[in-house]
Parts: sequence; C-alpha cells; structure tokens
Amino acid sequence: MERKQLEAAAASNHYLRGLLAIPFGMVLIASGLGNMEWGPFRELWTVPVAIVLAGGLYLLGVRYYNDHYGRVTLRTGRMRNIPTLATIGAVAMMIGGPILVQALDLPLNGFGIAWATVALGFYAVTVGLRLHHVVIWGAVLVASLVPLWGDPSTSDTPNIGLLIIGAAAIVTGLLDHRLLVRTFGSPADVDLEDSHAAT
Amino acid sequence: MPQPKDDLILDRLIHEPGRLAIMTVLSSVQAADFVFLQRTTGLTKGNLSSHLTKLEEAGLVTIEKRFVLKKPNTNVALTPEGMRRVTDHWHQLERLKTLSETLPDPDPA
Repeated sequence: MERKQLEAAAASNHYLRGLLAIPFGMVLIASGLGNMEWGPFRELWTVPVAIVLAGGLYLLGVRYYNDHYGRVTLRTGRMRNIPTLATIGAVAMMIGGPILVQALDLPLNGFGIAWATVALGFYAVTVGLRLHHVVIWGAVLVASLVPLWGDPSTSDTPNIGLLIIGAAAIVTGLLDHRLLVRTFGSPADVDLEDSHAAT
Repeated sequence: MPQPKDDLILDRLIHEPGRLAIMTVLSSVQAADFVFLQRTTGLTKGNLSSHLTKLEEAGLVTIEKRFVLKKPNTNVALTPEGMRRVTDHWHQLERLKTLSETLPDPDPA
C-alpha cells in the first residue's frame, strides 16, 4: 500500500468525472456553429437553448457521479483552488491568446493554443497526464500551431477552433469516464448503499 | 529476540490496511462521504462501516449522518488528532523502510 497511490486515488475519483465535460464541449460547439451561422444555429435562440440544455445535463452528471462515486469536499488550498485557477487561466488565455496571435499577425489558431495549453496544464496538475490527454490535447496544440490558419478577424479561424476544442473536450471526457470506471468499478458491480447511515 | 525501540513501534489501530487506506484518503481531502470512501479504498460496505465505527470511537474521525436529496448520507472527516496520527504513522513506516535498507544482510550468500 503506497501513500501516494491512495492520495492519487482520491484526486482521480474527483477529477476523472469526464461526463461533466460533455455539456461543456456542447456549449463550445454550439457557440462555434452559432457564430458561423451554420444550419439551425443561424437562429439566435439556439445557442442560449443549447447552454440551458448543457446546464441541465451537467447537473444530471453531477448527480450521477455523487450517487455512484460519492461526494467529496476538497481540502482548502492547492487542490481546491485548481478548478478556479484553471478557469481564470482559461479565460485569460482564451482572451489573451487570440489577441496576441492577431496583434503579431501570426497564421496560428490562438483559441486552440490557449485551450490546449490550459487543458494539458490542468490534467498534469490534477491527475497526471494520461496517454489520451497527451494525444488529444497535444494534437489540438500541434494543429493550432500549424501556420495555415487565416486572419481571425476575417476568417472562421476562432469558430473552427471552438469546434475542435469542443470535440476534444467531449472525447477527453468520455475517455476520462472510461478510465474512472476501469479504476473504481462500474456503477453496477459493487453494492454502494450508504449502510453506515442506518447504524 | 531483540526488542524493538519504543520510537519505532507502529500504531496498531491505524496500521490495519483497511483503516490506513481510509485515513490516508481522508488526509488528502477535507471530507468525503461513505460511497466515495468505498469506491476509493475498494472496501466492502460492511468492512468500511466497521472500520469507521472503530476510528470514530478512537476519536480519529468525525462522522456526520445527514440526508442529501432525501437520501441518507454519511460524511466523514479526519479530526486533528486523526491527521496527526496518520501523518506520524506514514513517517514511521518511512523510517522503518529506510532502516531496513541500511541494515546489513544477516545471511550473505
């Protein structure tokens, strides 16, 4: 029995709840398609509806994980601040990255670079980078750095970036969930009733 | 048979693998519920419940029984004493490991 393994197990059980990333990816894809006025997303109301739908799915996901994998309150300090810091970093990079790329007139995808960097940093600090994190977000980073992207102010570069990031978030979430189930068992294979509550 | 040094004696309450797993997981979080502990330690619900009772009786954990969304929920947290004991225990295990690595082989081939 290793101390680090047990402590890492607690972090994995919390941070590998990948189905929660699916609504997030849906919002990014809906935003990208809305900006591009693609198909039904050219209607203005579709994006807010997609956001509300994603919020509902997120709450269902939280309930599913709480019921089947338990509730945890993270310790104040580094681990608890990670999601907040990641959100601040993501917002800063999402705004700053594309502005920097545009200001320097580089043919890169600033959104892709920003999100891939934040995602790789987030997974490295919380659960340690797994193969699928490196492959998926590494591919997004490399694709964003290929100097073939057009001027973000006149092309669909930012929106295509949103579609790619949304798809990457969904696939990563599904693989994280698969890893969670393989590590801690599927909802069906253990008797998880809170028996101590009755004692 | 040589007697162990007093300062190398292990805490028998915590040294039991199931209880050590529970205490270590709890030391890395502020609080966790019964299902989270069951998933993370891999213990059966009967074993987990029994270990939690022993740890609570020893004053190493606090157990709060509550209802969340109309379902019974047991929330568990380490007490300051529990945190100190599990930290000391892992420190003691590290010392024993280091000591065993520095001892000469009693039966060199």
